[in-house]
Amino acid sequence: MGTEERTPASATKRTTRSAVLSPPPKSSNHPSISDGFLFSGDRVSLDTLLSGLPGRRSQVLETLQLIGPVSSPMLPILVYGGASTGKTATVLRIFRHLHRPFVYSSCRTCYCPRVLFDSVLNQLLLHRRSDENGYASAKKCDRASDFVNLLRDALVRAINLIRAGSKEKTRVGEGEMIYLVFDNLEAVRSWDKGASVISLLLRLHDLLRMPEVGLIYISSATPDAYYGSTGSIEPIPVHFPDYNVNEVFDILMLNQTNPKLYSTFLSAVLKPFCRITRRVDELWIALKALFKKYCEPLSDLNVVPDEGMKRRLFNGIQPHLAAALNEVFYVPSYASLEEREGVNSRRGTVRKLSGKEVISDLDFHMSVSAKYLLISAFLSSRNPATLDAALFDSTGGSDNRKRKRRSSQMSIEKKDVVAEDMLIKGPGSFPLERLLAIYQCITSVMEGEFDEEQQPEDGVAMDGGKIGLMSDVLLQLSTLCNANFIIRSGTCPLEGSTRFRSTIDEDLALKVSRSINFPLAKYICRR
Amino acid sequence: MAAEKALALLRSRLCDVSFAHGAFKSSPDSNYSKLKFIISNSIAEGCNNSVLLLGPRGSGKIAVVELALRDLSAEYPDMICMIRLNGLLHSDDNCGLKEIARQLCLEHQLIFSKMASSDDNSQFMLDMLRECGLAHKTIIFLLDEFDLFIQGKQRLLYSLLDAMQTLSSQAVVIGVSCRLDADKLLEKRVRSRFSHRKLLFVPPTTEDLKVLLNHVLYLPENSPFPSNYVKEFNSRIKSILGDKKFNEALNSLSDVDGTFSNVLRFLYQAVSYMDLASGLLTLQNFKSALLCTQKQPKLDIVKDASVLELYILVCMNRLETKEQNSYNFNSILKEYNAIHEAYKTSDHYSRTVCLRAYEHLLERELICFVDGKGRHLSTECRPVKLLISFSELCQGLKSNSSCPAILQKLLDRESFK
Repeated sequence: MGTEERTPASATKRTTRSAVLSPPPKSSNHPSISDGFLFSGDRVSLDTLLSGLPGRRSQVLETLQLIGPVSSPMLPILVYGGASTGKTATVLRIFRHLHRPFVYSSCRTCYCPRVLFDSVLNQLLLHRRSDENGYASAKKCDRASDFVNLLRDALVRAINLIRAGSKEKTRVGEGEMIYLVFDNLEAVRSWDKGASVISLLLRLHDLLRMPEVGLIYISSATPDAYYGSTGSIEPIPVHFPDYNVNEVFDILMLNQTNPKLYSTFLSAVLKPFCRITRRVDELWIALKALFKKYCEPLSDLNVVPDEGMKRRLFNGIQPHLAAALNEVFYVPSYASLEEREGVNSRRGTVRKLSGKEVISDLDFHMSVSAKYLLISAFLSSRNPATLDAALFDSTGGSDNRKRKRRSSQMSIEKKDVVAEDMLIKGPGSFPLERLLAIYQCITSVMEGEFDEEQQPEDGVAMDGGKIGLMSDVLLQLSTLCNANFIIRSGTCPLEGSTRFRSTIDEDLALKVSRSINFPLAKYICRR
Repeated sequence: MAAEKALALLRSRLCDVSFAHGAFKSSPDSNYSKLKFIISNSIAEGCNNSVLLLGPRGSGKIAVVELALRDLSAEYPDMICMIRLNGLLHSDDNCGLKEIARQLCLEHQLIFSKMASSDDNSQFMLDMLRECGLAHKTIIFLLDEFDLFIQGKQRLLYSLLDAMQTLSSQAVVIGVSCRLDADKLLEKRVRSRFSHRKLLFVPPTTEDLKVLLNHVLYLPENSPFPSNYVKEFNSRIKSILGDKKFNEALNSLSDVDGTFSNVLRFLYQAVSYMDLASGLLTLQNFKSALLCTQKQPKLDIVKDASVLELYILVCMNRLETKEQNSYNFNSILKEYNAIHEAYKTSDHYSRTVCLRAYEHLLERELICFVDGKGRHLSTECRPVKLLISFSELCQGLKSNSSCPAILQKLLDRESFK
């Protein structure tokens, strides 16, 4: 097994999907077949192939059978299954095992037909984009018809090369077949004119009429997702089911430095995690942090745990387990990662794990006026426009007794209906004028407060004053729109002006307001 | 070794569609014979012709054309020139003319100019038709996906068929389509120039299938294989073909889709599963191939779903039976929390975790957003719907090994309502 195979399947899949494929860059200008169509490493035996892919034994064998023996033609096959079930890894490793020439292109990285066509043709013509050729592709093709013609020519050339190689006994690959692998076929559906591209790809077998070409499609969508497209011919489906708990266990156990310790850890924590997700890539990240915690009491990481220690370690991890389960999909930002790696790493982690209320800092930087704008957008999305006058009167919303009485007068049923309505509709939309009015209100209120209390906490807001905060509001607004904090939600049919909608939830709004000492809670209308 | 060779032989037979249709060559009223007659008539008499081949996908239309042309070009060497167009690629008129010009150039060793205009190409086509007519060479235009050529202004079809009205040309236009009403879609000026010959392709009958199976699966008697291996292999095939269970399998396959390509795909799979050690096909091979064609991907996904994802599915189902006209993630979460309050389940997770599980379901296409675009709403607020039926959900929950009992109970209660 090559060196890059040492990491577990999940990691390999993500980090080396393209790296595995692209052969190491060579200085020679005339690449040979060996570094164009084949893995550079040695051939892998069937046993290594099967042991490297735990839980995929029957799928590997079935795919091998369908691909067939050396130089035997094949019908197109469609490998499908959910995300993180080892589809790509399996197919690529099978080709490493078979040692046959193939061309791999992913419809996700090749994001439009043209790039996809270029990628396939470049690989077939052994063309590498470089400084010398100005990073140009081997052939230019925009149309599907040109692509099919060029592809046929390129395939004939490639097959002749392979045949010549096998005749001269300088053979690098097995057999006289060449395989085209199209990964992430499901991504094509969302392309512009995706249906026609899909039918083109699925009918390549008929269009080319070359028995020397094998076609393999990899998709995370089920075969019935492709029925609708015109002219599609069904490939033979090969289903990759999700891993079960034991298989996930086996995969996570791959290449561990201390297998005994890790297996006791896994047998303690894996089951509850598997109730949430069985995707290896997500579990891998979630368990990594937890394992670090698990090992904290240990001085020597190579220790073989006995019963007593197991119990002690488990007791140590128990309180964190529930919190960790709710953090399964927590993606730490770069800044908080740094903080975690820092000196007081232990305290930081505890704070992170024990609930979101404690996290007071924002993970990103934002100017003060942008923060005000964001808060006013949140308020105008959240509160009904009719209450604006009551909230933002001359006293600046400090008088909320009146509001409370009003809401208590509402009947409970009506309250439920409104709450239900809000759940369904989400944040409301608002015109620009209302946003600016609220913005002006809250900034002026804050200035007033600063003046009275003389709090030199937020220097920018004070120094900037009215002019500073108002000057580039529209600029800030477009920035927030680009960052997806606020979205444009179509135009109002009556007024014809653009309406906006804020996407942030209450937690984030509270965080932002806390960072500028703004009493947001006073202004939120609780119905 | 013999087993591997036999496998390779069978696979190459099954991958080559024309081979399978060779079984019906001899019968006089097969489409093959009719088509061959039409084309050979045109070649021998020096006249123009046009014909439509209509039939469902996978019924072997193109395969029959290929087979007929292969035989005819052996019969009349150097008298046939083949131009292939596909509606998927060349339905655009300019593009189609260009492709015709390109293939004509390729066929006659002329230099093709990419810069030639559509007019030039069309003129070139007319000239070539005349020249070939004078040289008694027949040009055959094979238009696959014929219905896609009809979608536009039909300029390509018109100029092609109009050119064939002259006496000097000698050409055959073969249109291949899976739309049975393809000729009704033609414009009047095109229809009047089209000879209304139609060959209809129907799925094979049981007798046809038998002929096909015999043709494809038996190893040839006089072959490089050891004779006792051939004898054993063929006798095994005979016993399988006569088996009642095999015929049941074949029937259930053709009940769903009885076209040639589907049967061939089924055979290909069965042959691929052949055990190389024994070198013989077994009934089990065919059975597992049949199982593979009868998969229900949606059910498989429910079977694979994690417990939290199942909770969300059940919540959605409850909301749908409550006849709420639309609901989104927020209302699902409310329902989820309500279930938790009522039954005190152990699987209660935070909002973010639920949201991710919800996104998994979207990714797996078990649920989808109701509105197509919805770009101005975040994921939580967009209304969704289930893409599986109630019975599918029930079946999926039953087959899911980790499904908690409470979900089953909740769902059973729904079914009584």
